[in-house]
Amino acid sequence: MSAHAAPAEPYQPVFVGQTKDRLTEILGRYPVKAGALLPALWLVQEERGWISDDAMAEVADLLELTAAHVKGVVTFYTMYHQHPVGKNFVQVCTTSCCNICGAEDVVKALLRETGAKELGATSPDGKWTIIEVECLGACGFPTPILVNDDFIENVTPEKVPELVRKYR
Amino acid sequence: MGYPNKPHPKETVVLSEYFGDPEAKTYKGWVKRGGYEALKKALALDPAAVTEEVKASGLRGRGGAGFPTGLKWTFMPKEKKGPHYLCVNADESEPGTFKDREIMRWTPHALLEGTAIAAHAIRAEVAYIYIRGEFTEPWAVMTQALAEANAAKVFGNITIHLHRGAGAYICGEETALMNSIEGKRGNPRIKPPFPAVAGVFGKPTTINNVETLAAVPHIIKRGSAWYKGLCLSSPKSTGTKLFSVCGHIQRPGNVEVTMGFPLKDVIYEMCGGMRPGRTLKACIPGGSSVPILTREETERCLLDYEGVAEAGSLLGSGGVIVFDDSADMVYQIMRLARFYAHESCAQCTQCREGTAWTTKILERILAGKGQTKDLDLLLDLSENMTGKTICVLSDSCATPVISGIKKFRSEFEDYISGKKRPVMVA
Amino acid sequence: MADLVNLTIDDVHVSVPKGTLVIEAAKQAGVLVPHYCYHPGLPVAGVCRMCLVEIEKAPKLQIACATQVADGMVVRTRSGQAKSGRTGVLELLLINHPLDCPICDQAGECELQDFTFQEGRPATRYSPTYPKRFNPVEDFGPDVLYVPNRCILCTRCVRFMEDVAKEPVLNVSERGDRAFIGIHPEAQLDHPWSGNVVDLCPVGSLLSKDFLHKARAWELDKTASVCTGCSQGCNVTLDLRDETVVRIRPRPNLEVNRYFICDHGRANYRWMNRGDRVEAPLVRVGRELKAVDWDEALDRVRTILNGAGGSAVALVSPRASTEALYFARKLLARFSWTGAFQVVMGEEAPLAGVPNLALRAERAPNAKGAELLGYGRDYAAAIKAAERAAVVLVVDDPDAQFETSGQVICLGTTAPNGPLHKSSVVLPMATVVEEDGTFVNRDGRVQRYFQGRATPAMARPAWWILGQLTEAPPESASAAFDILAADVESFRGLSYAALGLAGVQIGAGAGVPA
Repeated sequence: MSAHAAPAEPYQPVFVGQTKDRLTEILGRYPVKAGALLPALWLVQEERGWISDDAMAEVADLLELTAAHVKGVVTFYTMYHQHPVGKNFVQVCTTSCCNICGAEDVVKALLRETGAKELGATSPDGKWTIIEVECLGACGFPTPILVNDDFIENVTPEKVPELVRKYR
Repeated sequence: MGYPNKPHPKETVVLSEYFGDPEAKTYKGWVKRGGYEALKKALALDPAAVTEEVKASGLRGRGGAGFPTGLKWTFMPKEKKGPHYLCVNADESEPGTFKDREIMRWTPHALLEGTAIAAHAIRAEVAYIYIRGEFTEPWAVMTQALAEANAAKVFGNITIHLHRGAGAYICGEETALMNSIEGKRGNPRIKPPFPAVAGVFGKPTTINNVETLAAVPHIIKRGSAWYKGLCLSSPKSTGTKLFSVCGHIQRPGNVEVTMGFPLKDVIYEMCGGMRPGRTLKACIPGGSSVPILTREETERCLLDYEGVAEAGSLLGSGGVIVFDDSADMVYQIMRLARFYAHESCAQCTQCREGTAWTTKILERILAGKGQTKDLDLLLDLSENMTGKTICVLSDSCATPVISGIKKFRSEFEDYISGKKRPVMVA
Repeated sequence: MADLVNLTIDDVHVSVPKGTLVIEAAKQAGVLVPHYCYHPGLPVAGVCRMCLVEIEKAPKLQIACATQVADGMVVRTRSGQAKSGRTGVLELLLINHPLDCPICDQAGECELQDFTFQEGRPATRYSPTYPKRFNPVEDFGPDVLYVPNRCILCTRCVRFMEDVAKEPVLNVSERGDRAFIGIHPEAQLDHPWSGNVVDLCPVGSLLSKDFLHKARAWELDKTASVCTGCSQGCNVTLDLRDETVVRIRPRPNLEVNRYFICDHGRANYRWMNRGDRVEAPLVRVGRELKAVDWDEALDRVRTILNGAGGSAVALVSPRASTEALYFARKLLARFSWTGAFQVVMGEEAPLAGVPNLALRAERAPNAKGAELLGYGRDYAAAIKAAERAAVVLVVDDPDAQFETSGQVICLGTTAPNGPLHKSSVVLPMATVVEEDGTFVNRDGRVQRYFQGRATPAMARPAWWILGQLTEAPPESASAAFDILAADVESFRGLSYAALGLAGVQIGAGAGVPA
């Protein structure tokens, strides 16, 4: 890395203004500050799309926890992103009930249509990251997928091209 | 029958009455349908009286453990020395189960009402409804419903909060759920202490499942005798249950039947039976953590706690996963093992390492590199993983392996002998 | 007297206080239940599942570390089920373990090795073609390395930092078999007591950089001692390899340091290996110091003392043993006497989760002992008094700077550069690792330390040197202490036998203010 490279942009706190107010309201729901950790992390991800080490430190400060504790929590729960993801983050259930109804074919179709080369990787146009997840609790509507916060039921390989078009 | 199908004549429609009815989600709509009367009635009763009524009804936990609900409520301290808490387990993640999602997105007020009644019965001032992070629609619906109910001030001095999970099956375990609410990793706790003594934030806590609480307003409104009377077989299993039928089936969805109803009729009559040209091969009647049943066992199984136990499995969460003759049992058991390996919290050695090793052995068998001794290894490993850990995730991984090898051994042997071509690359 | 509970463990009957854990009660029955995550100094976790035991009437095996005793309980730690439970855990711990014992520091003192040898499987069933989990070594900070591949996730380190050090800087990251011990990228493991995680780690996952690849556990000679780093008096074990001190580890003492020592004390051993020692007794001949034998040197001292009168000054080290300090005073009993010491001060660093435990500001082990024997802290006054003193006795105070018209007798471990040119006699003395002795900590606890290696060259323990000059020279450190105890009120009734390995508290022991 060149010694003259531009310095990294300073971290901008998430919890200012309205977001700070939301956190204040959330803090009131729990008898200790730590209870607000999961909701606070959701707020960070809502705003930034992912949770950086700096954001973890900010949350830790606000909730009087250590950064290590926050990091331990972030790495435990699979829905928190520890690095930026594509514009559309797609989670496809491939656990047994959906698996026997063709979930793996849905995954293949999605990878093909979006141009994402493999699971977990972001597509070249930056618009798609696709991962396989465990049971999404909609086994009667195979195959369910989440595109960001949109829970879509009954996805089949045939429906994938239209779906990808819609979200692109 | 659950959305998107119409109820089948043989169903006993109680909880699922308004599935698919958009107006039932609104506060006004719910009140119009008789909602919140039970809550009014309960708030006027002594907490102990509410508990007695639920106890008399025979209601048992619908999350999977089947523990008598009224009895569980009596474990809370008789003398109130500080705050009590109610936690509602809406973390529905057991493969094959999708009933709580329906209850929340179609009849959110049913859950809110049941929560408030339960909170009153255990003298809790605060209730947390823990909704798994992936349930974005139930979250939105519940948030809206809670706001409307709060505006109408129906809960008295009980406060209900929603708490969003972030992707962890293990948080459906009651002590892990409490840790998650406390802002920690979702690690199950060793017991004792039991939640009723020291639960969330160290205070006496009761945890109940969504479906369990959705039944409570009905019990209060129509009486425990009515609920107790809904019983077709064992008197220890009363009321109705939502069975989530999925997999190789014509009409997947939730069916609501009286306890003791034949599983055979659920599969063949209500859900349209097998796909054309297919026959039933196997069925897991209670979510992936219970033993797999063969076709014969499935067809004579009665759906209540005692009946399913007699057939060789457990009622569990009531997630009915149907496999027809096209299903590759070895592959699906591997997929389940991979599920448990992915969801293990990493505390106990048997679970952390054992689930991953089980998956690897099964993958190797599927890649055509298995040996007969691998089956003995799997069984030995599964025994090692049973009854030795803080929670039963480890046992749950072992269960399909044990029942799968016992009842479908030939499928494993076909891969080992090379009779079946490999379907994976090791 | 607490309520006692009667139970049977492996057919041995024990009576223990109510609330005792089965794993502790088992110790009373002479049974060590194999375990990893349990530690008496940490909160119970119950995660390793190694201590599963069979308890009659319980439907499943129970973990001994989290089960309290009950009247009439019958526990079997060696039943078929319990053993197979342990063998199972061991097998699972080893499937991802790198098995790099030949290059792992923990070999020889590794609990995974020990229990596997005891009841593990002789061969692995984890096919050789399965890859093992791999994560690169991490540098956690000042002295600690983390080798994730060897980690068995017992979480002792995490619990120590959270509950004992009260600085939760370590976590468990990820889930399932991907889990490892993590630290926030901007954080360091630099808490002044963080080195304890290396001792707590049952395997070679957390390692001390200082000790890395320095010695093999079986090459080490272990000696019980007391830390000389400050006035807390933590009990330690000195590990020596070929007569060189290579490591200090805590020795349990529930009254003083429980199971821990601070990083300052842990690193405080290099001075014990210094080569610049006084090697032989030296006497002044003309302008030179000449090496002589002990008889001649001691005769010279006697001559000096007999020929002197008036005042004497003793400048001593607060690291000298209580016995040495006593005899130093006794020797000068007929003089008008001033005795003083000075103590290097530093910052206090408490271990928050343990009451009354800290790296103390006073960086010396025996200031309290010196005080009880009449030495004062007004070092400057003693220096002034030295100007007119007939005799100045220096005990292990190598940098002492003073002027005197009298004679200087100097006892030194390392070369006493300060008083050297003024000294009439220079006598080589032993350091803490080369003698038996006692220190008195800030709370007034008298604690023994033990000899770990022979005195180098011609050095002798200071109590012997000074004792030889008195009327009834003691033949052993124990005898030296007995003389002291008979003479000094505070020590009345004590003896080496009474002190044992844990020491005895005397006086009010409120401690010296930092």
